[in-house]
Amino acid sequence: MTEERRSTLRQRLFAVLVAGIGGAAASAVSFAMAVYEAANPEPLRVVAAGEPVDTGRWVVAVRTARVGPVPPSGVEPPEPKTFVMVEFDLDNRSAASSYASTNLFTVDPPVSDLPEPTVYLARDGWIASPLNPDMPERLIAAWEWPRTQPPPRALRLLIGSQIYKRRDNLYGASGWFDRDPVAAVELPVSQGAAEAAR
Amino acid sequence: MNGRIGGVAAVLLTAAILYGMQRTTPLYSEITSPVPVRGMQGERVDTSAFAVGIAAVHLARTVTVEAFGQDRRYATSGVWVIVEAAAEAKRESLSLASADWLGPDGVRYRASQRFSIMPGMPGTERLEPGIPRPMLMAFEVPESQLAGATLLIARSAYTPLLEEAWIEMAGVEPENIRQSITLGRGNRLLPWTLEAE
Repeated sequence: MTEERRSTLRQRLFAVLVAGIGGAAASAVSFAMAVYEAANPEPLRVVAAGEPVDTGRWVVAVRTARVGPVPPSGVEPPEPKTFVMVEFDLDNRSAASSYASTNLFTVDPPVSDLPEPTVYLARDGWIASPLNPDMPERLIAAWEWPRTQPPPRALRLLIGSQIYKRRDNLYGASGWFDRDPVAAVELPVSQGAAEAAR
Repeated sequence: MNGRIGGVAAVLLTAAILYGMQRTTPLYSEITSPVPVRGMQGERVDTSAFAVGIAAVHLARTVTVEAFGQDRRYATSGVWVIVEAAAEAKRESLSLASADWLGPDGVRYRASQRFSIMPGMPGTERLEPGIPRPMLMAFEVPESQLAGATLLIARSAYTPLLEEAWIEMAGVEPENIRQSITLGRGNRLLPWTLEAE
């Protein structure tokens, strides 16, 4: 009787030890992997101009960049301003009309005091309305470049992504959420219009 | 022995029921989504706050808008759908600011704001109880999403649990696409004119 009980106790102790050591090893490996990945991030994919990038919600192809004093609407502002304009193709892959997400383009390295770009429709120069699903459009994002900074000769843009969550963590509602950049694009900035105006 | 089998069966049944409940819990966005009030094109659709009726649907490749003495031409990669309707508030003044075209694939196309300067567009006018007013809506949709669509009209797109008119569209066929539609300014009673070519 006592012999049996002792063996059961020993078995239990063994089971607890195995579970404890296994759990500790698993968390140590997971922590080490997280630290390693943070220390050695995967290099961001650099795409060529015109190459389509799937960002989850959008398929975007960045085409050209230029600097000029006139925004795509064609109406010159009363005081001189510098606009950096990036032409791109955008396709909405979601199930509802939506404005282009604000995290779509990030200027890299960041420029201080750079306001959010205004997005225009290329075919008639009007400010773009929500983009309809399955109807790709050519758009122009126009940044009003701060006067304290010289306009760029080359532009590097990070292309942000979005993911769909059926239930978000706060409300359990469905929606699209911003995620890290998936690609970068490097563009020469044509200065023609700016120099012609001078 | 029988008791043990019964116990196992009860645990399995409970697990199955819990799994089913977990999978079918409605999403928060479904719980708070607008309440549909169904109707047909050509008839009056009554919600508790407003009534709306669709008078005519026009399809075109381009739309020209006469505004401030100059014509603006709007092209689209799909088809322009111009909807002429009438709406009336019932108990309090309100405006109908949200209009969606729900295609047969379940894809939602929000009303275009590209010529929202036109009178009668969603959100431009406040409706007073008992005074029906004309309403104009424009959508850009691909040709495949014309037939079998539903028009959704509500006071706002984001307020939860509002009533939304779901109007089943009939007779919107690709063979009726015109080349161009011109929208002009009208008089006070009908604030726009529509000419199709």
